[in-house]
Amino acid sequence: MLIGIGGAGSKLSSTFDGGSNVVINISEAELNKAKAAQRILAVVHSGRGKREGAKKNPEIGKTAFISIKDQLEDMVRGNTVITSTGGGTGMGITWKVLESIAQKDDVPEEEKTTFILVLPYADREPSEYVDNTIQFISQPVSWAIDSGNTGNVFLVSNKEKFVNRMTEAEFNGLIARRFNAFFQIPAKCEEHASLEGHIDREDFSLYLSKPYFNYFVDFDYEHKKPLDEQLASNTNRLMLEPDTPLEAMFLLEVPNHADERMFYDVLDHFESRNVVPIYAVVRNPNLQVPHLTLSLLYARKPHDLVNDFIRISEKRTRDKIRKSIEQHGTFGPKKVNLEQEAMKEAMKAGKKEDEVISVLKRIGKL
Amino acid sequence: MEQPLTKLFDQQVGNLDQAHVNLLYWSAMAEDRKMRYNITNAFDDLKYLQHTRTKQAVYAYIEALRVCCLLEIREEGNKKNLYITEYGARALETLVNQGYTLQPSHFLGG
Repeated sequence: MLIGIGGAGSKLSSTFDGGSNVVINISEAELNKAKAAQRILAVVHSGRGKREGAKKNPEIGKTAFISIKDQLEDMVRGNTVITSTGGGTGMGITWKVLESIAQKDDVPEEEKTTFILVLPYADREPSEYVDNTIQFISQPVSWAIDSGNTGNVFLVSNKEKFVNRMTEAEFNGLIARRFNAFFQIPAKCEEHASLEGHIDREDFSLYLSKPYFNYFVDFDYEHKKPLDEQLASNTNRLMLEPDTPLEAMFLLEVPNHADERMFYDVLDHFESRNVVPIYAVVRNPNLQVPHLTLSLLYARKPHDLVNDFIRISEKRTRDKIRKSIEQHGTFGPKKVNLEQEAMKEAMKAGKKEDEVISVLKRIGKL
Repeated sequence: MEQPLTKLFDQQVGNLDQAHVNLLYWSAMAEDRKMRYNITNAFDDLKYLQHTRTKQAVYAYIEALRVCCLLEIREEGNKKNLYITEYGARALETLVNQGYTLQPSHFLGG
């Protein structure tokens, strides 16, 4: 089950295949717009009554979490949460979910929650989003990963959307297609004739229950070309670049009449990195060329990840300060007629009656 | 003959009110500052001080001062500018001595 929290999370969750999705939002109007099997309204009140949104303020999301705490804590067990890290609702509620997971003593493997976190593109999106993301990654994400109680965390970046000038629907569709391809690994293993290795649903969920960042990619595999080069030219641009992998998983689909022994090359690649992947090789008669779906688990310190965002945030703040200093520049000289100014001052200071008589005399009327 | 004229002058001046005093005062101030004070400026100032809201009323004030020879209207370059006369100056002197306040003109800036 996929749980979409907040505006972005709700929209994304409805584009994914397989199983039912649940959407959670503070805004009733937004909630009703989302396609979902189940909708949960998180309620939070202000001095003026029920709030209709979180105003990019995660504190409001955190307060809203209280209204759905028990229900949500039950629901996330063994399921996937999808949210953006920039806004108020998704980030605030997910913050509390991660916090409660991090505080648990032990979470059984089958109850671990997988998180898909959509990070803002720091160069183009508002600074509130960037600051919220910095807070979010350096605190609850970091606590949850350190506790070992969370499942895989997928870090998706909005960068591609801006770089390729995509509509939101196109971008969400693209994310969903890439994730669906990854989540279909056990289904493909069931569907097609198995040639080597094996990844069943249990293996797959065990892999997902590991508390690391997950990076995956799928591309048409070229037998003769070293995997290093292929990985370099086929990066998954939707996700943040991975660090050194700790664990790996791959599914190699080979067409009819192709030699499945090419999977040994993939194993060799990982052996040189001291990683023993779990894998499956299947024969897919629908394909013309071999296709590789590969996932890497890496443990990049959230601290390093945050540094990238902090660097951009600091640069932006510096620019803002510089701009505000420029705005307070010197004013141009003001032309002042001293005679008039003196007259005005005299008028303020002296008696008006005396002054008007002298004016009348001066203009020769008295 | 001198006596009745002085009496007439006193009667004329006695009928003037604050709006008339302002107009005489502002016309004198403008002339002193080498500025031209026209009927539109007078309307804006009197409206600003909430003496009236209509241009007709302002024109009536000015016309009353003109027919009493206290104010002169000169057409200068498409504008009807106001100038205080010598009688007007004496009237203003009298009114000021009677205790009328001199209100500031927004146009003249004080």
